[in-house]
Amino acid sequence: MSWRLICDDGVGAAFGLAADDYMAGAVGRGESDPLLRLYTYRDHCALAGRFQDVENEIHLDFCRGHGIAVNRRPTGGGTIFMGRNQLGVALCIPGKKEDTYGRAREVMGRFSEGIIRGLQSLGVRARFRRKNDIEVEGRKIAGLGIFRDSSGGLLFHSSILVDMDIALMLKVLNTPFEKISDKEIATVDQRITTVRRESGRALSTDQVRQAVATGYKEVFNTSLTEGYFSTRELERIALRQQEKYERPEWIYQTSRVKDAEGMCRIKTEKGLLEVRLTLAGRQIKALFIRGDFFASETAIADVEGHFRWHAAHKEKIEETLNQLYHKHNEALSSLPQQSLLQAIVQALSRARVVEKKLSLEPYGCFVSPGGNLHA
Amino acid sequence: MSRKEFLFPEELFYEKNSHMWIKKEDDDIIVTGIDAIGLDNLGDLAYITLRPAGTRVKKGESMGTLEAAKMTGDVFAPVSGTVVAVNEACVQNPGIVNDDTYGRGWLISIKADDWPGESVDFVSGEALKPWVEAEIKRLESQGFDA
Repeated sequence: MSWRLICDDGVGAAFGLAADDYMAGAVGRGESDPLLRLYTYRDHCALAGRFQDVENEIHLDFCRGHGIAVNRRPTGGGTIFMGRNQLGVALCIPGKKEDTYGRAREVMGRFSEGIIRGLQSLGVRARFRRKNDIEVEGRKIAGLGIFRDSSGGLLFHSSILVDMDIALMLKVLNTPFEKISDKEIATVDQRITTVRRESGRALSTDQVRQAVATGYKEVFNTSLTEGYFSTRELERIALRQQEKYERPEWIYQTSRVKDAEGMCRIKTEKGLLEVRLTLAGRQIKALFIRGDFFASETAIADVEGHFRWHAAHKEKIEETLNQLYHKHNEALSSLPQQSLLQAIVQALSRARVVEKKLSLEPYGCFVSPGGNLHA
Repeated sequence: MSRKEFLFPEELFYEKNSHMWIKKEDDDIIVTGIDAIGLDNLGDLAYITLRPAGTRVKKGESMGTLEAAKMTGDVFAPVSGTVVAVNEACVQNPGIVNDDTYGRGWLISIKADDWPGESVDFVSGEALKPWVEAEIKRLESQGFDA
């Protein structure tokens, strides 16, 4: 079957999200062929994950002062910072014949293959990292997310870093850093990477888009017919925009499960180790490691990446650390495994104390899903 | 490789596509949650929202959303009707669903509009064991590590 291809640039946050959301349903209902949309947002916007609290994740005052749009994606995961140098990927495919949850395990890896093939054709050694990242040597280059519409349509979302203004991103996103200095910027610069850095070329976003489109064509053995949304689709997208993505009830809704943070600082035989951890229910949402020990930043980034959306059970943490230390044996030799395990477990335990306290507080601003908000 | 064991209590009904379990109570009121295979595929749940009591829901359509380790998506109503109660404990601590989905991890109860008509497709009784076996085989063929 032939897929539709839509390439658009400089879209507003509400339109960009409404279009993906509406088209996932349209494809699920059989009203449209599968759609691959490769697009960029207008500089700049911060898009929170489906269940995040934007007030916790984004510096809203800074965004208001600098004309940075804030919105909420239908897909899960963390907040992303988008603009002309970040390529958005939205793949809408029908899922009606599939069972609801049965293939959740495989689809993320499978849908990311088009992006990986495209990036590899540009000389970028990209590969899928468990759950929801594409990485190059342990550094994240693209984030992934999946949303299943009630029609059965699947929306696969990705943001590919063609380039990134890290200093600006750190002003927009709430991070574990107490202050933002050159050191913090350099730290983040070691944790993520971009297509331009990895390819060694000043590639345009459009060149990356063409490579990704070709990657999907090859991996899924399909043809792509380039076009745009129909008039009827644009009308429906505008409606979705008004009823959902422009409404504060959608953007600023808060979750009943509060994020809880915990920190642990310990002195190891090789130096000081600091771990900061964010807990959401039973999941470790984020882990941040730093200290004055010597370890490869690439390996540390890989460790942090493996603990994004990781089960908060000691046994599973230990199991993941065993695998990571096996993989990065030399690179992590100055960071004792038992010390890191101890620091993570202690940070987790402190986050649980915070979580318990939060659960006793009222949730006055919770917006219950309902009406036309397509909860 | 050893096979995982999945618990499917025999006294319940199961919706085949959405992997929801359904318990029929008096006066056509049903209680529902996610079955063991559905849950295993989702992984640990991080967030759930559910339609509040009094809301009308339609069979096969969304009655809430969830974010799990692997994906975000809708929670599908197994029957049409009116929401009677929502398990607030699970909304505040979705991990309860992973711990005890057939007990404390129930999600929502609904006063069904047409239980006789809408329950005909549910799996129960003697059909349960072969269905679970077939589901596991199908998922294994897709790379599922059952």
